[in-house]
Amino acid sequence: MNKVDVKLWKIPIPEKPPECRFDWTKERPERVERCKYFGNLKAVVIDKGICSHCGTCYICPVRGIVVEDKPIDFPNWRKDCIDCGACIRVCPRYDYTPLNGLGEYIEAVAGKSKRFKGQDGAMVSEFMAGALEMGIIDVALFVARDEEFKPYVVHITDPDQLKDERITGTKYSFASVMPELHDSIKHVRAVGIIGTPCMISGLRKLQKVVPLYKQKVKLAIGLFCTENFYHWQLKEFLEGRGIDLRKAVKTDIKKGNFIVTYDTGEEFSIPVKEMEEIVPDGCKVCQDFSAVEADASVGSVGSKKGFSSVLIRSETAKEIFEYLKEKDYIEVGEVKIDVIKRLCDYKVKIHPYPKG
Amino acid sequence: MVRIKVEKPKVHKSVALHIKAITTAFKEAISPGTITIHYPRERRKLPDNFRGLLQLDKEKCINCFRCAHICPANAIQMYQRENKYYPGIDYTKCILCHFCVDSCPTAALKPSKIHDVAFASLSTMVLPPEELAGEPEMWREDTVTVEYDFDGDLKMIKRKEVENLIVEVEKPKRPEFVAGAAFPENCIACRICVNSCPQNAITFKLQDLQTMVLEIDFEKCTGCMVCIRNCPTQTLLPFRREEVLKGGESDEQG
Repeated sequence: MNKVDVKLWKIPIPEKPPECRFDWTKERPERVERCKYFGNLKAVVIDKGICSHCGTCYICPVRGIVVEDKPIDFPNWRKDCIDCGACIRVCPRYDYTPLNGLGEYIEAVAGKSKRFKGQDGAMVSEFMAGALEMGIIDVALFVARDEEFKPYVVHITDPDQLKDERITGTKYSFASVMPELHDSIKHVRAVGIIGTPCMISGLRKLQKVVPLYKQKVKLAIGLFCTENFYHWQLKEFLEGRGIDLRKAVKTDIKKGNFIVTYDTGEEFSIPVKEMEEIVPDGCKVCQDFSAVEADASVGSVGSKKGFSSVLIRSETAKEIFEYLKEKDYIEVGEVKIDVIKRLCDYKVKIHPYPKG
Repeated sequence: MVRIKVEKPKVHKSVALHIKAITTAFKEAISPGTITIHYPRERRKLPDNFRGLLQLDKEKCINCFRCAHICPANAIQMYQRENKYYPGIDYTKCILCHFCVDSCPTAALKPSKIHDVAFASLSTMVLPPEELAGEPEMWREDTVTVEYDFDGDLKMIKRKEVENLIVEVEKPKRPEFVAGAAFPENCIACRICVNSCPQNAITFKLQDLQTMVLEIDFEKCTGCMVCIRNCPTQTLLPFRREEVLKGGESDEQG
């Protein structure tokens, strides 16, 4: 593997040193409510039930906003909020216009990894491993799981780390990817993240507001998503149906059924319609199925068993895909784009916004 | 089991050895050649870079936290005194490595050659900045300074004088920095830099309700980089003071 050569070729040369300024002005967002900015966010997004729990607001410079396995909150915000307005500036739902449809894409293909074992074709792992090998990114933020399928974020710097099956595969619970990105942004050179469509929207808005994130987040891979759950609610719901997540090795949503596979090979299937009660409010106004703003969107819908559908949307993702093909890491298949289109339309239908 | 046979020493050889030992004993009795020091009354001259207890000059301290950050034993804690922060040392943890002295940009932390101080209890070993000012307290009984001469035979040189245990350190020659806004577009107007600046060099004012103006007074700025470390979005960067000020002048002329 000529990893070093590729890295040397990719090191960017700074054009000119930054200019030093001793005064600068900053526009502050307008207030809707006459209170501190977090109060505005609370009134417009959280209390109206359109918060997607993407975690972008964790940019809060005093780290007061709590992004955990419960709705976003800032305990004691009337006292501790420093009124900077960063949260409402980066929140993708603050001035919400739902994105929907397939979005723009350069190429739609199906792929299957020969190296990794993932949810379907392990194409997300392949993309990140390729980007790491090409030197586009230094570190990739992946979501791993513990015994109870509770997600936590891990930093991947070497493709070999992805052979762990706890890191690949879908978890169907909110993960703190954006908080981890905010915490590590000052210490990384180039980073790649994986997220649900709402996280990608949050990231894009964040990149517009704070160019530092545009400079450092080089690759954002979106996942096909209809809804996501709070971990404790999902766990309680499944326990109610007699399913123990500790014995599970895989969770999946296929053809309208939530499927849990045990390590013994036993399978449990629950219709997603019955899970309506635990779908968070924020997901019920989201119409973006295919992560319209991502560099590449990956999901199982629209391809054969064992393959992942990939919508390549940016030049970076295209470059990585060509590299993966050239190195013969992946098997390429065909994708039925109308199946994905149908699910996009279905999500628009079941999640109307504004709520009627 | 193997027995080792020991030969009996010959008589004339053992007599010679005994005589040699007895003469050495007589010699030492008449003019002793010991090289040990009678410690509390005599003191060995220590090298100038000896790493002993520390003392703090509060006037020189610019509150940059660098000593606390670099301390490998985590022995330095910053204490708040009148809106500024000064280091205090926990000697139960301190390993006397003097990284803090080396890192201090203004030589506010001074080294000393004092290493022999006893503390009354564990709690008195934690020194706040007030107790760090001035020489560490110690009971000095010494009147003689001893120096070893390592050339040829090991000899002791004793002098009737008392050594000054405080070492004066000059301000290290380092490039002077000022904080400047390198990427003002990254700023999220959180004003953490304003609140954290120990010199109050960064100020903000509201032009109108929606526009905030932030300003760095580079004459007040000591280059302590607290704001740069605290900025959540890398808006600020350190700049060489002379380069920035020269550049500014040429701009005005042009």
